[in-house]
Amino acid sequence: MDCRVLSVQSHVVRGYVGNKSASFPLQVLGFEVDTINSVQFSNHTGYEHWKGQVMTADELHVLYEGIKLNNVNHYDYVLTGYSRDDSFLETVVNIVQELKRANPSLVYVCDPVLGDNGAMYVPENLVPIYRDKVVPAADIITPNQFEAELLTGRSISSEKDAIEVMNLLHSMGPETVVITSSDLPSPLGDQYLVALGSQKRVRADGTMVTQQIRMDIPRVDAVFVGTGDLFAAMLLAWTHLHPNDLKTACEKTISVMHHVIKRTITYAKEVAGPDRKPSPAQLELRMIQSKADIEDPAIVLNAVVM
Amino acid sequence: MNFYSRVECVCVCQVMGFEVDSINSVQFSNHTGYSHWKGQVLTADELHVLYEGIKLNNVNHYDYVLTGYTRDTSFLEMVVDIVQELKRANPNLVYVCDPVLGDHGSMYVPQNLHPVYKNKVVPVADIITPNQFEAELLTGKNISTEKDAVEVMDLLHKMGPDTVVITSSDLPPRLGDRFLVSLGSQRILMPDGTRKTQRIRIEVPKVDAVFVGTGDLFAAMLLAWTHHYPTDLKTACEKTFSVMHHVIQRTISYAHEMAGPGRRPSPAQLELRMVQSKADIEDPAIVLEATVL
Repeated sequence: MDCRVLSVQSHVVRGYVGNKSASFPLQVLGFEVDTINSVQFSNHTGYEHWKGQVMTADELHVLYEGIKLNNVNHYDYVLTGYSRDDSFLETVVNIVQELKRANPSLVYVCDPVLGDNGAMYVPENLVPIYRDKVVPAADIITPNQFEAELLTGRSISSEKDAIEVMNLLHSMGPETVVITSSDLPSPLGDQYLVALGSQKRVRADGTMVTQQIRMDIPRVDAVFVGTGDLFAAMLLAWTHLHPNDLKTACEKTISVMHHVIKRTITYAKEVAGPDRKPSPAQLELRMIQSKADIEDPAIVLNAVVM
Repeated sequence: MNFYSRVECVCVCQVMGFEVDSINSVQFSNHTGYSHWKGQVLTADELHVLYEGIKLNNVNHYDYVLTGYTRDTSFLEMVVDIVQELKRANPNLVYVCDPVLGDHGSMYVPQNLHPVYKNKVVPVADIITPNQFEAELLTGKNISTEKDAVEVMDLLHKMGPDTVVITSSDLPPRLGDRFLVSLGSQRILMPDGTRKTQRIRIEVPKVDAVFVGTGDLFAAMLLAWTHHYPTDLKTACEKTFSVMHHVIQRTISYAHEMAGPGRRPSPAQLELRMVQSKADIEDPAIVLEATVL
């Protein structure tokens, strides 16, 4: 496989978020990963302390210019995640559009990170940029329920609402939409959360078909950082390996997440000791230790085709 | 903790099971062997700030430090301060240092790095991977024979590191001129308190191409294999040089294929096929044998 990904995300010295979360798993799956580090921080911002440097939109542009001058601006995928800077985000869109002109088959996988559980954790002015510029250029997006609602201006109270929102998101651009988590009630009970996916594709006979799926995912009693980044990276990989089969791509992706998270929780509790809440440092994803699961994930849940 | 800008070297250690925290000393579009390169460098102050973040969270505990190419004396001095502090936190920490100064008789970093490496960096290092030119620069002694090389490695031991690998030299190979000679020396403390030195020689096939990044990969793999074989430099080097061989062969084949017959591959085409070499990195077939001197 000779597949090249440009990933524009944060770098942390220690831990697994952003590019640290995406690079290793994609590389062990055989993808060439070129990374642009939008920031370099000592660790993620959930620790007590964090320090480091951010990249400006101009500096991003300079790096891309280097790639372009050498005539190596040819990518199969672009992957982006958390950003706080509107001009940086706009520069990313320009780069994606240029890369798509160089390779019209390029797939842009975008995690439109805005917030969760009713609250934004990036500046408000990013919403119109994602809605009007980023999402229209994207091919695969992985919003949570809050982000899906923000981007479409519609609330989700039922599965029917969720499907309408995913169709609205399709009409904005992306052919593949995965709502990574929601408040919808799961038929398996309240120990589960519901994720949904929708993929539009053109059949061999030219007709359009949409596959919609629902997944019931076991809840975990811990706050993880970097799981969204891992999810987007693995969805990139598994939709690449199963391009017209969102059900399988999602089952593999969610299964990898499950193995990594489970291994991480076990380790964190062991290191923290009985009855003690693990620290952010202890809850860093056990990525390296999960290599075998990343390479070949045992499927642990089935997606339901709706 | 490694002070690197090569994502691939991070990856190779990770596939072998090491947790790698990396501080990127620069962020460039590509290496400087291409027609063009652009990007930003990290200052010594910025490096200090990053380390402060790690320290404030009380996670400044490492088993290894790995460093390579740098052009900045104050950055290098900051690295030494950090290594010394990390060694106070963990006295068993092993500092693997590639003292990048130049090759084939000429320096490719500013001259003023030479005394910093000689007087500050090498004395705190445990494993160093100089080429012949760098070994000569650091000790002030020329290498014309194997005997000279052994003396130079002993001088380097005296400066600090217990493990020295001269990664390439102009010494005449026994296997013919398609090969180059590398040497290694490791001082081990015996149970009875005496010191024993194991010296090895390994002849490596020459390649008809200029690679960038192989020195970085070598240092990373030597870290990994000396970790697995801490008192057996012969095996550690056989594994390390064998991995290099597999990666380089795969890269050359690919580069020639991409370039086409009769054409010299470009720097872009010669990028190491690291991701594709995962199986060789995890479990390298030994293709080179080291002789114990």
